Amino acid sequence: MSTNLIGHVLQYAGILIEACLVIYLARNPRRGQLAGVSLYLSCLLGTGLGRRLALSTYGWTSPQYSYVYWTTDFLLVIAAFLLVCHFFRRACLSQEKLWRFVRLLLCFSFILVAGISGVSFVGHYGGLSLPYVIEFSQDLYFTCLVLNTLLYLMLQQIGSVDDQLGLLVCGVGIQFAGPSATMALYHLTTGQRFSASLTSYMLPMCTLGMLMVWAYAVIHVSDRVNKVTPRRNPVLAEVTAD
Amino acid sequence: MIAAVMILILSTALFFFYFQVTCQKLLGRQFDREYFQSIANANRLEFPSLRKSLEEFGAPVDYSRLRMMLRCDFLALTYLLKNAANVNQRYTYDERLLILYFRWQFLALGVRRLLKLGENTAVLRLTAVLQYFANVVGQRVNAVKFGNLTAADYLLNL
Repeated sequence: MSTNLIGHVLQYAGILIEACLVIYLARNPRRGQLAGVSLYLSCLLGTGLGRRLALSTYGWTSPQYSYVYWTTDFLLVIAAFLLVCHFFRRACLSQEKLWRFVRLLLCFSFILVAGISGVSFVGHYGGLSLPYVIEFSQDLYFTCLVLNTLLYLMLQQIGSVDDQLGLLVCGVGIQFAGPSATMALYHLTTGQRFSASLTSYMLPMCTLGMLMVWAYAVIHVSDRVNKVTPRRNPVLAEVTAD
Repeated sequence: MIAAVMILILSTALFFFYFQVTCQKLLGRQFDREYFQSIANANRLEFPSLRKSLEEFGAPVDYSRLRMMLRCDFLALTYLLKNAANVNQRYTYDERLLILYFRWQFLALGVRRLLKLGENTAVLRLTAVLQYFANVVGQRVNAVKFGNLTAADYLLNL
């Protein structure tokens, strides 16, 4: 079986699971709390279908498909950034002070990535067009991975018991880390055959992994409101009992 | 170039980190009671005693025997997961992920042995996966009524 065929099967499986999850979430009474997840899944689904349509209409090597691919990639990465922001908001629901700081950090990260990509692009190309969008997307993607890891560490630090959020964050981590690593490998090996085929497997597989984790989190894990359990210092009796 | 190498290392590390954390979260599921002991007794599985000996005495068993025990328990439990009181006769997606995690940890066990890093951590993780599988099987069997058959009788008749 060729690499392309397996890649296509994985992509179609991803689209199918995305559609099922979107429908499930739309019928879920707690859809308000999972609005960010629904939105991101809808973006993934729309993007997947749009790319399939462009591929069948214009063909793999056409400039139109390339334009559609990178435009949707840009939209996806913006949606991913907003999703991470949404998760941060959910984690800080009962901590307004922390949220104010996190909000600043998120705005600063976004401006920083846009600035770095802009400077890098102007140095190399001297204008604003598709290469800038690609560079910006890749930088923001990696930033989302770093922010997601910060969010995971923050959840551990504040002792969050929101298991559903924990699993959703882990799913996002798998989705961001796998493609980020394979894209870096692709750049380092200057697009050799091995890394090209690894990329075609890894991208849909990581998306599938994320969807499976999310499906488990949404369907099986009872979502509890983010309760912060303050760390309690042991009293003398407990210490001496040990 | 340097940035790409750094991104590659960091992203790969984070990928495995998230994979591990996700599996640990799945393994952290609470069951209404501990079913694994009856399943282990009915099928003569050895992971509970292995885990107990490691936790209490920290004493590693003969390595080749250890691998064989873990592998046999894994094969038995994955068979039961698929066939015991499972109407769909297939694994759920979380079970598939944990099967992948088991295989990865099994590989890690070999690597740790090779590098002389100590196998106890990997063995404890492997037994945790087996215990989870046994709990799932026990819960499923317990949920289905088979006349006067106990869970152990049911499994013996499979």
